[in-house]
Amino acid sequence: MKIKREELLQKIGEMKASGYSYLVKITAVDYVDHLTALYFIRDIDKNKEETLEIDLVPTDLWLPTIIKEHTSADWYEREMSEMFDIKIKGRKAGRLLLERWDGTQGPLRKGFAWGEDYKSM
Amino acid sequence: MAITRINIGPVHPSTHGVLQLVVDLDGDTIERVDPHIGYLHRGVEKLTETRMYMQNPPYMEKLDYLAPMSYDEAYVSAVEKALGIEVKERAMYIRVILLELQRIASHLFFIGTVGNDLGQMFTLFMWAYMDRDKVLDLLQEATGSRMFYVNMRLGGMLSDLPPDFEERTLETLDYMEKRIKEYESFIEKNPVFHERMKNIGILSPEKALDLGVTGPVLRASGVQYDVRKNSPYYVYDKLHFEIKILTKGDNFARYKLRLLEMRESIRLIKEAFKSMPAGDALGMPVKLRSPPTKNRIACVSREAPKGEVMMYLVADDQKPYRLSIRSPNFINLMAIMHMAKGLRTADLFATLGTLDLVMGCVDK
Repeated sequence: MKIKREELLQKIGEMKASGYSYLVKITAVDYVDHLTALYFIRDIDKNKEETLEIDLVPTDLWLPTIIKEHTSADWYEREMSEMFDIKIKGRKAGRLLLERWDGTQGPLRKGFAWGEDYKSM
Repeated sequence: MAITRINIGPVHPSTHGVLQLVVDLDGDTIERVDPHIGYLHRGVEKLTETRMYMQNPPYMEKLDYLAPMSYDEAYVSAVEKALGIEVKERAMYIRVILLELQRIASHLFFIGTVGNDLGQMFTLFMWAYMDRDKVLDLLQEATGSRMFYVNMRLGGMLSDLPPDFEERTLETLDYMEKRIKEYESFIEKNPVFHERMKNIGILSPEKALDLGVTGPVLRASGVQYDVRKNSPYYVYDKLHFEIKILTKGDNFARYKLRLLEMRESIRLIKEAFKSMPAGDALGMPVKLRSPPTKNRIACVSREAPKGEVMMYLVADDQKPYRLSIRSPNFINLMAIMHMAKGLRTADLFATLGTLDLVMGCVDK
């Protein structure tokens, strides 16, 4: 289901109220001209799953946090933020979760320069 | 009382891999745990984008080196879905048999290591290791390798099962049933085990769902969700087995549930052998070029021994454009931040042990 970024919080809240209370995964795909953020959410009782898709332009990469609705979003958001440079607004900026470098571009972006950081070492 | 901050790891025998825990203590009571992960992050998802479809299974197997076949199979299934390839019926049965053997091997490893986490050094570990070796012997016979198998091929398997594999497997399974009873008798009559495991690290069903945990950790909290039943794949819907759940959600329930699951796996394998049709099970030989892509996006979920694995594949012509892996260990580990508050320090390791983590899978 394609939605707009501005609709995310409301949609997540509505879905949770209707039984879609289990967050399976958050991830993203870089299609170069745009990025798509994906939220896989499940209704365990009715055994149904929905995927929310949000298209983002590379010059305006941010999403609101959904951590208040789903605690499990914590690490998924941090992972997505590091890997795709998508800023997550509404939560405290913490240390990097998976990375130990100061690179400026997320490794899962298509334009990521492999090995550039190590050439100067 | 003042808070004391201690550091555990990143290389520490109780953390089951390269995991660092920064723990805030009030006396001996845990106030906060902050897991520092990423020491084994090697960019597996990115690596797959640079390799042809069937060059990637060896990378998938290194995610969870205690149940490598589960990840290989999930990835190959996603590729099969993207390319529109049907799996041969006999191959489906073989996959179920081998995956359930893999589940038993993984759970046996858990049984062994959880004893060590409680300070019961090595008796249980050696027992479980010895039994796991018997399962690995079977997997070696079927695949040619003990640890990393890479035996999934598009539409089938690398090879059919050896001629007398069924007899030897059934023999091992009978032995394993006896051994499970012995484990129960050895472990569960031990008062120290009870004290260290019962009512420790309780995870309520509501909290388990909110934290997104899967697999035995979720089912030990009383939530009946198992991909094999809820979204059946291969021949799981034709076979008879139960999804075991326990309601207590403590360390003991997570241990016990894995024993119960091993019994169900034995039942599944026996029935799969009975129902398995004759015929061809071989998949396509690995060639550099794969058949053309039919579906741009393929998403598959599988019930691996440690929880739900999801492969979200955006297919390109001959290699993944993007592969997103849902690692059950990644999200199960996050739960320790919420489960540990209020525990004693020693109980942290018991609770961490019952999450049954593999750091290669957490970090990807």
